[in-house]
Formats: sequence, structure tokens, C-alpha cells
Amino acid sequence: MEVEKGKTAKYLREKLGGIPEQAKENLKEFNAIKKKMLDALKEEDLTVKQMSEKIGMPTHEVVYYLMSLVKYGLVKTGEIDDMDEYYTYKLNK
Amino acid sequence: MKEAIKNITYDALVIGAGIAGGEAALNLANNGYKVLLVDKELSVGGKMIMLSKVFPTLDCAACITTPKVSEISRHPNITIFTGSEVSNIRKISENEFTAKVTKHPRYVHVEDCTACQMCENACPVNVRDQYQFGLIGRKAAFIPFSICSPKAAAIDIDNCTLCGACEKACPTNCIDFTMEEEILNLHIKTVVVATGFKLFDAENMPRYGYGVYKNVITALQMERELAPTRPYNTILRPGDGKVPDKIAYVLCVGSRDASVGNPICSQICCMYSIKQAQLLMGALPMADVTIYYINIRSFGKGFEEFYQQAKGMGVNFVKGKIGKISEKEDGNLILRYEDINEGKLQEAEHDMVILSTGVLPNTGIEKFFENQTLSLDPFHFVGQTDALLSPAKTSIDGVFVAGTAIGPMDIPDTILSAGAASSEAISYLVEHP
Repeated sequence: MEVEKGKTAKYLREKLGGIPEQAKENLKEFNAIKKKMLDALKEEDLTVKQMSEKIGMPTHEVVYYLMSLVKYGLVKTGEIDDMDEYYTYKLNK
Repeated sequence: MKEAIKNITYDALVIGAGIAGGEAALNLANNGYKVLLVDKELSVGGKMIMLSKVFPTLDCAACITTPKVSEISRHPNITIFTGSEVSNIRKISENEFTAKVTKHPRYVHVEDCTACQMCENACPVNVRDQYQFGLIGRKAAFIPFSICSPKAAAIDIDNCTLCGACEKACPTNCIDFTMEEEILNLHIKTVVVATGFKLFDAENMPRYGYGVYKNVITALQMERELAPTRPYNTILRPGDGKVPDKIAYVLCVGSRDASVGNPICSQICCMYSIKQAQLLMGALPMADVTIYYINIRSFGKGFEEFYQQAKGMGVNFVKGKIGKISEKEDGNLILRYEDINEGKLQEAEHDMVILSTGVLPNTGIEKFFENQTLSLDPFHFVGQTDALLSPAKTSIDGVFVAGTAIGPMDIPDTILSAGAASSEAISYLVEHP
């Protein structure tokens, strides 16, 4: 059977009988974290520590997700503090 | 549809497309031999292509590697299979081997992909990026890294939600989820094993806290932080995003340590740590960098001068063996160590610790061979039958070894070793037409 170009994901989805459960869970979790972080940054620019306190997430996880959002162009790096220790992060509008 | 098993013939099979395999393939190809270069990763270039700079010249690793990679990729006598694995190598006559090559599906037609990254932008998934050693995320539809070769997207099928967004975004229709595993039967006359090395897993030394204390990282992770294609905007602690100012290196993590099963020196850790210390002092001019060592082994050309240069720049060298690392509430780390010169126990606080992990053999290479035995040395690297006079010869006539598959070595020695292996392979091909 010839599968139409550009619609092959549907073919594999049907062949596998759905989406792998783990992948679905990961996406759900990432979307929720992304929303929380972007909503928090809508209110004010934040450092990793401030973001951690605001959304109740350990700082190392904030670093991982926040830096990923910077990579994807949703967030950008702001200024560093007076002690040259922590950067603030802001929405990339 | 599962594709039919194909038969393919080459003069030489080179297993591993790092700098050793690439160099050996290029030498063979330049002498007119048809070469199949196979690597399990999605790009050629091995570990070197991931480095920031190289010691002792501080040349940019990418600037050296990419022209070579490009030459390998464009050579008419070299066929490259990435994302592929070799197995079932059988010697069937004096100058003929057969082997099986399994090509795992990339779900992208490489020849049609323009690396425009539109699939990457459309993909909603986020997973840890193995090419940034987990410091940052990547998409499930992704270009492995910016200087990868082939420069083409791939689909991480284990993490893909099969939403089809990448396909819709792709302007060349090169994404294809109907791709399946392909098995090829290979006929070759000679084999070069260039399977490289792996790094010691720092989690096997729990007293250093790697994986638990988030500001303890490996030197390869720091290598990424220092590279132009780094994960963060500058050097940051992964634990809380702080710019570190008191950084410690712990040498011989998983090398020269019989208690973790690796009593030999890894040969490169002293120098790559000194290199990183110099780069850190350039990136963070106010930072203090301390290297805790047992012995500094600066044995190569220009290495001792490079070590002295680091001292002159202000890198602090402490002859001391780290017994234990513990974490403070603010994420800083307390290093408890034996000060060998003073002969007493000391403690020091740092805000980031880099573990200089050692070189280990990639295991299981001997299982590639079916009817012949590929001998290993006592440390499970590929054995040399005549290490002094024919360093590339293995226990199988017609199978040669190059680079760190033999044992720990630096980049210049790896290139020399690849030269030796390709010369031996060419002699073998001439003798066994």
C-alpha cells in the first residue's frame, strides 16, 4: 500500500495502535511546565531561584526547562545581578 | 514494507566514524579503495566534534574536525552509514570477509533534507539532548547538533508522539515514518576497527555525588559549556543557574583506581582539565580554578609548557586525593581531601566541581566476529599482536585496529594510529588482491 507523502505519521500511529504512553506523558508534563513558566514570566522577569519559588520546582529542573525554552526562542536571557551571579530571564516577545 | 536484504561489496569496512575511523577511511579511499564507513551515531566525527578546543594548541576542535568530516563525506570512494551497526563478521577466505550491517531508520530521507529546522520548530516534544550531555532539552524531530554530518534531521521515535507536525512543516516532504530497519549483507576484503572509547560513568563513584549533587558535572559536560555551540549563554551551574567563581577539578575519576576496576592512566585527563582551566579563566576572568591531582602527566609535545602556562595564568594545582564530596544547602560543595604535600586531611569549599572521568574500552567488539577470535588486552581494549613493530595488527589476519579502541590516547596519537592502520590495511589489500 502506498502511503501518501506528508501523512506517514498517521500510518505509523495506526500500525502501532496509538501513541507510546511514555511519550504522551512526557509531552503532557512538558506542556504544563512550559505554561507555568511562561505565565510566571508574563508577570515579571525572574532568576532561576525566583522561578523555583514561584512555581514550586527544584532549581536544577528550572535550569533545564528554562534553558530549553531559551533554546526554543520562547524566553531570552536578561541582565545579570549586581553580584555577577544570577541572570534574569524574560519572555522573548 | 520491510526492504529486501541487499548484498553490497566494498574493499574495506571501517567500523566507527570518529577521527580514527574517518582518517583511516580517507587514507584508504585516497589510494583508490572503496570504503564503507559505519557508525552507530547519527553523525560522523565521534567525540572530537563535540569538543570546545584541543590541547596544547587551543585550536578550535570544530574548526579542525569539520573540514576533515566534509572531506570524508564528499569522497567518491567512501560510503557512510550512520545510525547503523555491524555484526556477524566472518572470514570466509584469505581475502574475503562477510558481515551484516543493520541500518536503523532515521525517518528522514537525508538526501532531501535541507536542515531548515522547520520540523524542529514544529515538534512539541522536549527530551534531554544527548549531544549536550543532558544539560538542556531538544525536540523529538531534531538536527543532532549544528555541525553534524550528514546535516539532516532525525526522528527520535522512542519519544515521538506521532503527531505529524514535523511532516506538515517539512517543505521537502523528507520525513517518512514508513521507513523500517534495513539489513545489508556485506562482502569486504579487510576490516578496520575504530570503535573508540567510552568515559567512566561517574555515578559508579557515589562518594563524589555525581547525579545527586547537581553542581558536580563531568568534564565532557563542561566541554559543552565551553564550546561555541554551548547549551547556556555562559558558564552556569546546572544546579541553580549561578555563574560559578570557585571551580574545582578532580582528576583520575575512574582511572588509576583498581577499586573501580580501571588501574590504568587515561592519558588525556590531566591535559584536557588543564585546557578547560585555561578556557574557564578566559571565560570567567574573576574565577578561581583549582585542580586536585595525584600526578600531572604532561608527557607529550608541548604539554609541559601548556601546564606551566596554566600555572602562570593562576590555575591552582593541589596534589591531593579527594576522599569525599558533600553538598551544602546553597549548592556549594565541600571537598575533603588528603593534601599529599602537607600529609594531612583538608577541606575546601567550591561552588562547582568537575570530575575528569577516565577512558574505558567500548565492550563487546569481539562479539562482532563469528568464526575468528579478536583478542583483547587485559583491560579489554583491542589487543595488538605486535605492539612495537605493527601496532595496528590484531589477532585476525586482515583486521586492523585504529585509535582509542587500542587504549587511551590523545588526538595526534589517534591520527598517527589511524595512519598506521590504513597503511597496514592497504598493504594487506595489495598482498591479497
